[in-house]
Amino acid sequence: MALPISLRSSVTPPELELIASEQLIEIIPLISMDKTAFISGAYGPLRPPAKCRLPIWMATNLKLKKKCHIVPPEWLNIDFLQDRLTRETSQPEFCAMPFRFAEVAKIILDVASDDVENPDKIRSLLKDLREARQAKSREGITKLDHSELTLPNLCSMEINEIRPFFIRSMGVLTQLVREPSAAGDI
Amino acid sequence: MLDARGPPVQFELQAGEETKLQELTRHWMNERHAPDILPAQSVLLGRLLDHIRKQNDTVQLLRADPDSSEEEHFRIMLAQTEIERVKFIVRSYVRTRLYKIEKYARYIVATPEVQERLSETELQHARRYAHLVESHFHRTVLQSLPEEQRGLADETAFMPPMIPEPDKTRAVFAMARTNCPPVRLPDGSTSEMEKGQISLTPYYVVEQLLARGEVELV
Repeated sequence: MALPISLRSSVTPPELELIASEQLIEIIPLISMDKTAFISGAYGPLRPPAKCRLPIWMATNLKLKKKCHIVPPEWLNIDFLQDRLTRETSQPEFCAMPFRFAEVAKIILDVASDDVENPDKIRSLLKDLREARQAKSREGITKLDHSELTLPNLCSMEINEIRPFFIRSMGVLTQLVREPSAAGDI
Repeated sequence: MLDARGPPVQFELQAGEETKLQELTRHWMNERHAPDILPAQSVLLGRLLDHIRKQNDTVQLLRADPDSSEEEHFRIMLAQTEIERVKFIVRSYVRTRLYKIEKYARYIVATPEVQERLSETELQHARRYAHLVESHFHRTVLQSLPEEQRGLADETAFMPPMIPEPDKTRAVFAMARTNCPPVRLPDGSTSEMEKGQISLTPYYVVEQLLARGEVELV
């Protein structure tokens, strides 16, 4: 078949990671390289120790070969995450986070945990944050109807997580309110 | 609208012009989430394929050079990695369309306005595939049935239709790329999406916005 069953109803987390790794991130290169034209744009030149902005996939690639240090984004530190977690647990609504924070955080912690300060603490904060937000999305289902649900500040990975259940629920609600006249045409 | 509008999004998605690759990525995700077949992006796809080819040629040229430096090796490796990434997206985009085309082949053949959204090759494939399925059904089952039951287009009440059609009432998660004009919701009210707002709503509500590129599916 053209598309495997597992890919038909939703996208997979690795695919979201692929999209997220097109975002730019700062690195401190350990090798030099002239400015080079890539399909997504021209990057460089790399001149250690000057910082440079590259797509995340390029940064992880160089990092795995020990050719650069990754500068974590400003939101990936204990103070910021702790603050967000406090707000997340004290307010009813979702806090603003970068749309693809879960993917970016995972990539950076996977390949460059030595460039992040206190990675274990950050991992556990991210996990707490995720659980607090997950609980809120589950509550969100009570507000679902057949027409619209606005989801402020929900992030890419979280949407993907709730997608199958929310789409189905809305489908059932749509069927329940369908005009009696339309029911004959099915 | 049920929820109060959230505070304005503080983390803007990366500003600036959308690159060709970002554009294809957006269309790829739209295609993956939309229940219906979206217009083919033939020009965009062609330009990216050209770009892949050119980049590939450059890589081959550099690799053939025996006295390339270590720096060159890294550039080659990165360029090759990127080519593979772009190819993955192109392939997944085309496969998603192919899946929908095969699933709705007979609906496409019967509906001229959908045919406009397909490229020439896609349309040919849809026609051939629909023909193949129909003649298979006919040879294996239908020809042995009583004459009045041989058709595939009958409309029996309360039965799923014999020609599957995209379910436009299926809900999608749409994110506004700009401030959108108001749309009518199924409950009769209207809603205006602000830039960055994310909504879960039936596909037909945002269909026009999506066609104009004012929302993307996430």
